[in-house]
Amino acid sequence: MDEVFFIGLLAGAFRFAAPIALAALGETIAQRSGVMNVGIEGIILVGAFLAVLGSVWTGTPYGGLVFAVIGGVAMALLHAFLSITLKVDQIVSGIALIVLGLGFSGFFYRLTIGAQSPAPKIPSFDKLDLGALSKIDFLGPIFLQHHLLVYFTIVVAFALAWWLNRTGPGLRVRAVGEHPQAANAAGVRVDRIRYGCVLFGGAMAGLAGAYLSTAQLSGFVENMVSGRGFIAVACVVFGRWHPVGAMMAAFFFGAADAAQIRLQTLNPDIPFELFVMMPYVFAVLFLILLAGRTRMPAALGIPFLRTR
Amino acid sequence: MSDGVRGNLIVLLVTSGTLLVIGLFVLIAGKDPFQAASVLVGRSLGSLNGLAEVAVRSIPLTLAGLGIAFAFKARMFNVGADGQLIIGAILAVLVATTLPGLTPWLLLPIFLLVGAAGGAAWGGLAGWLRVKYNASEIIVTIMLNYIALQILSWAIRGPMQESMKVFPRSDAVPDEILLQVIADGTRLHSGLFIAIAAAILAFVVMRYSMFGYQLMAVGSSRSAARVGGVNDGRIMTLSMVVSGAFAGLAGAVEILGIHGRLQDDFAGGVGITAIAVALLGRLNPLAIPLAAFLFGVISVGAGGLQRDMGIPLPLINIIEGLVIVAFLVSAHFTNARRAPAT
Repeated sequence: MDEVFFIGLLAGAFRFAAPIALAALGETIAQRSGVMNVGIEGIILVGAFLAVLGSVWTGTPYGGLVFAVIGGVAMALLHAFLSITLKVDQIVSGIALIVLGLGFSGFFYRLTIGAQSPAPKIPSFDKLDLGALSKIDFLGPIFLQHHLLVYFTIVVAFALAWWLNRTGPGLRVRAVGEHPQAANAAGVRVDRIRYGCVLFGGAMAGLAGAYLSTAQLSGFVENMVSGRGFIAVACVVFGRWHPVGAMMAAFFFGAADAAQIRLQTLNPDIPFELFVMMPYVFAVLFLILLAGRTRMPAALGIPFLRTR
Repeated sequence: MSDGVRGNLIVLLVTSGTLLVIGLFVLIAGKDPFQAASVLVGRSLGSLNGLAEVAVRSIPLTLAGLGIAFAFKARMFNVGADGQLIIGAILAVLVATTLPGLTPWLLLPIFLLVGAAGGAAWGGLAGWLRVKYNASEIIVTIMLNYIALQILSWAIRGPMQESMKVFPRSDAVPDEILLQVIADGTRLHSGLFIAIAAAILAFVVMRYSMFGYQLMAVGSSRSAARVGGVNDGRIMTLSMVVSGAFAGLAGAVEILGIHGRLQDDFAGGVGITAIAVALLGRLNPLAIPLAAFLFGVISVGAGGLQRDMGIPLPLINIIEGLVIVAFLVSAHFTNARRAPAT
């Protein structure tokens, strides 16, 4: 375990954590308003595909980003309509999103990019380059050579924490998630706020997808999200429904991911499957360790009924 | 309009809406929806072989779907049928390949039981973690899916790899316990009878047993069930045990009826489809085989659409998703008059 290993590990942790953190931040806000979306895995998939499609069509990864966000919001709109307007079971609606995301992304990928031969070049994000600064020992590779979306994620986490806890709209979100009846009595439009939060969650999941396919990797592979969306949902719990907490939890999983890849190559005689399963094992262990130490938003998962 | 008529009308509307949307996707793919409809039906129901393939596909979907129904009845959202199926199959094959010399009529039931037990343990673990540590069963079952996949990958490349050590797969299970083909020239095997028997058993348990009643009680209101003297935690865990057992049985049957051994991807994403099957069957064990059959038609037909017309296979997932959405929408309208459970 030398210097190079740790620099690579920490730098990798940022890279792997960013998509999980983006999705977890959006999900944190949605859950704080009382709506659980277990389907963000599906939204991230759609975002990942649309980002590739948009990048190729517009010639810039920023075009892809816009596509991904629109797609994410559209998917979230379906979830919002089902769970907020129709007030059906949020979990089942989320399961629908998982399957639909798998279907939409695979179906349209095969009709578009996947059908092109030779495969089109996919414009993707560059990494930050501050010249000499990015080359400083240690600090450079660890902190100053990432994609812009990584820095964006960190800023958004702190901004959301401030917004949620220190501003009027943030207070309304919390009120709606804790005690919708009281919020309603105070004149807050419960369902409207929940719509906003769920759509925000969709946009963030779309961004996470764009990061995966146009920053971390450069291209779309069917089912490429491989559980990151679910880990993001778990990160909301691990972060105790606090944006910065969710980001830290995501960072841990990023580090676990970066570590398992490196440990695989360093330990060829240990079956690689053991390393691949580590992040998933950690997720289960954390849920156990946190038992009784978290308190979820009181109205999480419960549709708001005005008549009561 | 009576509630029943109203309910049927809504189901009809939702079904036709779903069909319209599917047609729309075929149009987007640049193909003729009517031709697609005829290919879909022709490929699946139009020949003995197609029909047999539909039945083959509906066997694991029925078994896993029944399992999903037990969990969902208690409002335990088991998204982990895939993992439970894999663990069940691994353990069953492990027993079959390490216990040679057992007479087939003993080994066959042991194989199926071990499969069910393996799935039950994997599902029960998630149920227990939910009850004891309040760990979301959705997240846990999905994590356990990924873990099971890695265990399978390790097993067939490591300790359980075939004696020849060439391919990543296990040794074949003894020929004598394989489920026999019941229609010559097809792959349809006697697992069909296991699936039908399981459905009847599940129906009886749900409808007539104390456990079935307690499942429903916990599912409609945990606190009310507890006040009524039901050990809600125990029932929630048990629902996942039973759920996993059906998935594990599905895995064992798939091995004995189709693959004959463990290999990568033998599970083929049954778990998520089984959720759509269970919901379409409205968690009713007698309706679930029919829903599984319908999804068998869709699955086999969509394969035909891909081969004959070049319509991408993930259309299946879109249809599954739409079925779940349709279920939710119709549930909303049929339940609108009733007070929703909290």
